[in-house]
Amino acid sequence: MLEIIDLTVRVAGKEILKGVNLKVNAGEVHAIMGPNGSGKSTLAQVLAGREDYEVTRGSVSFEGRDLLALPAEERARAGLFLGFQYPVEIPGVNNVYLLKAALNAKRKCAGEPEVDAYDFLALIKQKMKLMQMSEAFLTRGVNEGFSGGEKKRNEVLQMLVLEPKLAILDETDSGLDIDALKVVSMGVNSLRDPKRAVVLVTHYQRLLDYVIPDQVHVLTGGRIVKSGDKSLAQELERRGYDWVLESRVA
Amino acid sequence: MSVGLQTSSASPAALRSFEAQWRARAADALRPAREQAMQRFLKLGLPSPRDETWRYTDLRALAAQSFVDAPHKARGEIQPHAALPLLDGLPLSATVLMVNGYPSLNPDDAAINGIEISSINELSRLDPSNMLRFLPPASDADQRRWVLLNTALFRDGLYLKITQQLSTPLLILHVSAGDGANDVAHPRVIIDACPGSSATIIEHHVAQGEHTPLNNSSTHIALARDARLEHYRVFATDPGATHFDSVDIHQDQGSECKQFTIVLGGGLVRATLEGNLRQRGAALDSYSLLVGHQNRHVDCVNIVTHGAPDTRSRQTARAIASDFSRVIFNSKVIVNAGAVNSDSQQSCRGLLLSPTAEIDTRPQLEIHTDEVKCAHGATTGRLDPDMLFYMLSRGLDRATAQSLLVFAFLADVLTGMSVSSARSAIENALISQLPDSQLLRRFR
Repeated sequence: MLEIIDLTVRVAGKEILKGVNLKVNAGEVHAIMGPNGSGKSTLAQVLAGREDYEVTRGSVSFEGRDLLALPAEERARAGLFLGFQYPVEIPGVNNVYLLKAALNAKRKCAGEPEVDAYDFLALIKQKMKLMQMSEAFLTRGVNEGFSGGEKKRNEVLQMLVLEPKLAILDETDSGLDIDALKVVSMGVNSLRDPKRAVVLVTHYQRLLDYVIPDQVHVLTGGRIVKSGDKSLAQELERRGYDWVLESRVA
Repeated sequence: MSVGLQTSSASPAALRSFEAQWRARAADALRPAREQAMQRFLKLGLPSPRDETWRYTDLRALAAQSFVDAPHKARGEIQPHAALPLLDGLPLSATVLMVNGYPSLNPDDAAINGIEISSINELSRLDPSNMLRFLPPASDADQRRWVLLNTALFRDGLYLKITQQLSTPLLILHVSAGDGANDVAHPRVIIDACPGSSATIIEHHVAQGEHTPLNNSSTHIALARDARLEHYRVFATDPGATHFDSVDIHQDQGSECKQFTIVLGGGLVRATLEGNLRQRGAALDSYSLLVGHQNRHVDCVNIVTHGAPDTRSRQTARAIASDFSRVIFNSKVIVNAGAVNSDSQQSCRGLLLSPTAEIDTRPQLEIHTDEVKCAHGATTGRLDPDMLFYMLSRGLDRATAQSLLVFAFLADVLTGMSVSSARSAIENALISQLPDSQLLRRFR
């Protein structure tokens, strides 16, 4: 589904990603772990189409298409979703309007009619219940005045409504208490499907207790330096990231 | 009495033409106040960029024109509704039509409970001293220059006395409809709110026909004790129109005023607001929504004076400029000596939508007493790239995302409107000025 080859990216003149290689097949859940400043968020943002990040080398294909040639909005309509590490507050733009517009943009792209207003409301209420969100969020501005945890739930809510083929969740677990983590994990798990894939970008192994990854990668210094199965995450938790660097040198 | 010749052949043509208009006026009951105003106007001349509040607006082209009085037109000569989607579905207690400053009163208007609607000329004949109370003393302040001329030259005007609590808005429809390229009109409105009364009054300025007169309008608002008023002035004239508009608000004890200035049309719009919180507990919330579009030049001046203790003012301005437009927002809060516990806030934000547009905001404070709370902030920038990226990453196309963000930027002003029918009417008119209006309508 997603194939990243030798991806090199500069941000504000500084090379952050230095040749990332990654292949994600449909039905898989991948976790990308790594210390602060390793380039995890840059990778997530560049896949979603952030314009001020400069790709200097490499390629990314998504279902056989050249992902890097598409603007952000077309990537989203093609089925890619980024759950933001820091979801933006947009006062004055209603949370539900945004979601409805997003869903309709995707449906239009797929040649489907716009969603019926009542059907949409029923759908969103059902998903909000799953995410244990109060219906008060229906009337608020996008992320406006939401707590950190509420913002993350809102990201997962959007993901559930948009049903992407590939979801990239950038530290969706950070700042969550254990109950919220369970809710968010349940949301992610409900999307697991042989036709979809999920990339979890995370600092901690904790999320991976609830969303079991097929593969774990360690990103550090702008490269993926180690890959393995879920046991790699546990090992990292025990031994820290320095262990990966040291074992690599050795 | 008459004013001696003040202009000479060296004076700007506009000034000479205003003097000629003055000389042609028959004396009326308001003559002393008018004469004083005209003398002062001729002495001071047209404002220039050397004047503090005129720094950004150059009137040289206007000064070279010779103006004549815009014609008095009858109600039947005007078809305002054709050009006015703003009014669709707005429940109103009354619509008062003013064409080129002449009120065109309907006999039915006299029967509305809680409000008296009259012509200024008629009342001046009956009770000139009462009417003189509402004519301001002549002032040298440069922001009042066009008010002087209005006082001297208004042909007639509208006097509204609010005696009770009105639940539905009253609309004053100002139609500008000239016969030639050099017409000038001086519309005058007086709103006299009795103690404890409340009302919503919308002044809507539109143009009809090929020639839009130079518009020099002035509204004087007096709020007696505990009166409440929500006042709107909406400018929606054509791109060639020049409009000078001044609103003066005088507030007594415990009175509350919400004032909305909404610029959606016109070529050069100068909108002045002077708030005078002259008694304890008076509160003024002013909201400005200034849309610069094409070559429009919008120059907005707000001056609020806290003249008594425990007074409160809020100024919220949102300016948007696209194309080659320019929007200026100057606001000033003055706290007089003795006006302790005054509380004021000024918030001006500008949004630039094109590299050739310009926004200038200047919040100022002048404080002559201790024990006050005054805050101000001004920012101008482009659409927030993080917000835009967030929306794009959800699949919205760029035009929709930008329109939604522009609309969201104005939310602080729109949500201040307490009359929902007025709000939705203004939102509708506003949306049609923004890019991708069809898209935006679907989101409301």
